[in-house]
Amino acid sequence: MKIGIPRALLYSIYLPLWKTFFEELGHDVVLSSKTNQDILNSGVKNCVDDACLPVKIFHGHVMDLAGKVDMILIPRLISVHPGEFICPKFIGLPEMIKNDLPSISNLLVLDFNAHGRAEKAYDGMKKLGRELGASLSLIHSSLKKAQLRQEDYKNMLENGSSPQDLLDIRRDNYIAKEAYSNMGIYYKRGLELRETDQSKDAEANPTKGMIGLIGHPYLVYDTYINMNICRKLKVSGYEIVYPENCGLEEIDRACARYPKKLFWSYGKRLLGSGLSMMRDRRIQGLILITSFACGIDAFIDELLIRANNREFLLPLTTLTLDEHTGEAGFDTRLEAFIDMMEWRNKYDNHFSPHGSGIYSGQGIVR
Amino acid sequence: MIITFPHMGRVYIPVKALFDDLGMQVVVPPPVSKETLEIGTRISPESACLPLKINLGNYIQSMEKGADTIVLTGSCGPCRFGYYGVVEQEILQDQGYHMDVVILDAPGKDPRILLQRIRKISGNSPWSKIAGAFMQASKIVEQTDALIDIYLRKRPREQNQGETKHQQSRFEKEVLKYHGSNEILNFIKECMEEAEEIPEDPYMDPLHIGLVGEIYTLIEPYVNLDIENKLGSLGVEVHRGITVVDWVKTHLSMNRGYKKKRKAMLNKGANYLNLCVGGHAQETIASTVHYADQGMDGVIQILPFGCMPEIVAESIIPTISRDRQFPTMTLTVDEMTGEAGYMTRLEAFVDLLEQKKGKKYEQS
Repeated sequence: MKIGIPRALLYSIYLPLWKTFFEELGHDVVLSSKTNQDILNSGVKNCVDDACLPVKIFHGHVMDLAGKVDMILIPRLISVHPGEFICPKFIGLPEMIKNDLPSISNLLVLDFNAHGRAEKAYDGMKKLGRELGASLSLIHSSLKKAQLRQEDYKNMLENGSSPQDLLDIRRDNYIAKEAYSNMGIYYKRGLELRETDQSKDAEANPTKGMIGLIGHPYLVYDTYINMNICRKLKVSGYEIVYPENCGLEEIDRACARYPKKLFWSYGKRLLGSGLSMMRDRRIQGLILITSFACGIDAFIDELLIRANNREFLLPLTTLTLDEHTGEAGFDTRLEAFIDMMEWRNKYDNHFSPHGSGIYSGQGIVR
Repeated sequence: MIITFPHMGRVYIPVKALFDDLGMQVVVPPPVSKETLEIGTRISPESACLPLKINLGNYIQSMEKGADTIVLTGSCGPCRFGYYGVVEQEILQDQGYHMDVVILDAPGKDPRILLQRIRKISGNSPWSKIAGAFMQASKIVEQTDALIDIYLRKRPREQNQGETKHQQSRFEKEVLKYHGSNEILNFIKECMEEAEEIPEDPYMDPLHIGLVGEIYTLIEPYVNLDIENKLGSLGVEVHRGITVVDWVKTHLSMNRGYKKKRKAMLNKGANYLNLCVGGHAQETIASTVHYADQGMDGVIQILPFGCMPEIVAESIIPTISRDRQFPTMTLTVDEMTGEAGYMTRLEAFVDLLEQKKGKKYEQS
């Protein structure tokens, strides 16, 4: 059977787990096309207006898969870590799809709930395996293999790779080469041929430093939604640090400054990785990337900005994305941010003979 | 220690009584107004939800009246409300206000933390006194809601237009003059008797509309532009999907019978949404189905812009509407909502329902 996985929302984090599992069960896995204008348009058209951009795009990806595959996987991620949740829209995602796209009925809903105990999270996959008619032993071995792959993948992310590097094969990129050998057959089947000159551009310029890019995986790793911000930063000579490059312990340590435990796993990851990036001062500046009306980012970005204003005083900017964002305006803001950051680093130790120096202000570029 | 708390509909009545009984000084924030919202909007994150902005406005207005400690409840997700306390504290700190924020969370791993906090805000009263005060407060919650229900029933049927509205606003103003739960309970009783006497138009057959949606927008009249009153004056009897009583009973009471009833209620929407997605989305769906089953004329869903759980419900409601031939409407409110446009939509919706009802009579 052909199973389609929408290339949206958290696919960039969980793809190895899902893909390996279904392939080991003997099914074919097909990914939807990369996000493009058609997907965006059909998503926006078929989703409630109030939803955020990533959810609308998910709708578009489901429509892209319709007719091409036998079943479409709709993950219902309730919780990915004991005692925590993720955004409520993920919990209601299958219902949103069912009601917004009534013509698509061949949905494969995968529950993932680690709220009680971490091992319980895989019950949903076992159940799904049974529904697909696999034997218990096959399900067990497939799940084990999938979990191992997912673990490898997670380790590689924490060691500094980005999902884009790992999921798109890039033969002349050493990280991808490593990925290629580590991940074995999984990557031999190949997901996507690399986008041509990306890494060449990056190598042309010597790196000027690192920039932290804080945002949800579905914004940071989708080159269409974020107008290829990663490439633009690399072309300007900066390396990027992603939230996924941070280990869980580090995140927990950084978040301990707040009196109440944060209960969104991805919110916590963004906040903790942002704080620890600011604290260890290896980054030159921080870019917060958020989608319009994102409920979680409204709070997380606020906390990050306030912590930065109070203690760290790093250059920081927020870029908000929605379906109307124009690339020219986006680029202008990005260039302005990089200019301000570089000027500040260049002139910051000029002492003004009178008053406060114009470059050594608050350090915040909003 | 002078305590204040955020506004949420008429919750200020039981909360004031609670602290009165405990012998604590309490400042009830001025009623939510345009100024409250302006203060809140100025200092809150742009895309935060409306209740947060109004809460902050409440705190600052109360602080001007002398409050120094904020008490609010919390939860553990996934709705944003659970993290209000921390974000509000950070914002107030940066604004240069030094207020103590006490968050009353559901007990997690260590119930002692919650007990300590309760002790703190009750001025170290003995536990028996604290328990008594809570009992009295929950009685007031029930009575206040019962009184509001009378007002809702009377409003479309009143003979002299505006009488119910007048009584209600008098009740809301004057109740603050009373001190302690007993005085307040007596006053509520008086008002109930008075409300029952409002003369009714015996030939009035009002439309019935259910209100569902996010709890804060449903019960705070400033935020929903006083929808209960607006609908009432259009000749509609309003039924509320979620009330403060429900909230208190669900979260604080051990009453098994109620929990069973609640579960049965939630089960009504199980075909559409059978798990909790945070906030009150599940209640919204269940109540919509319930109102459709009861043969009401329509349902209006209200949510603050960007409310994550209600967006899920918003995408399900059209299916219920289609399945059951049941009129529904969704209203999103935020600080930009204009009253005229809002009123037009309400009037149009009520007009359509009236025509539908008229047709039903012609056929039968």
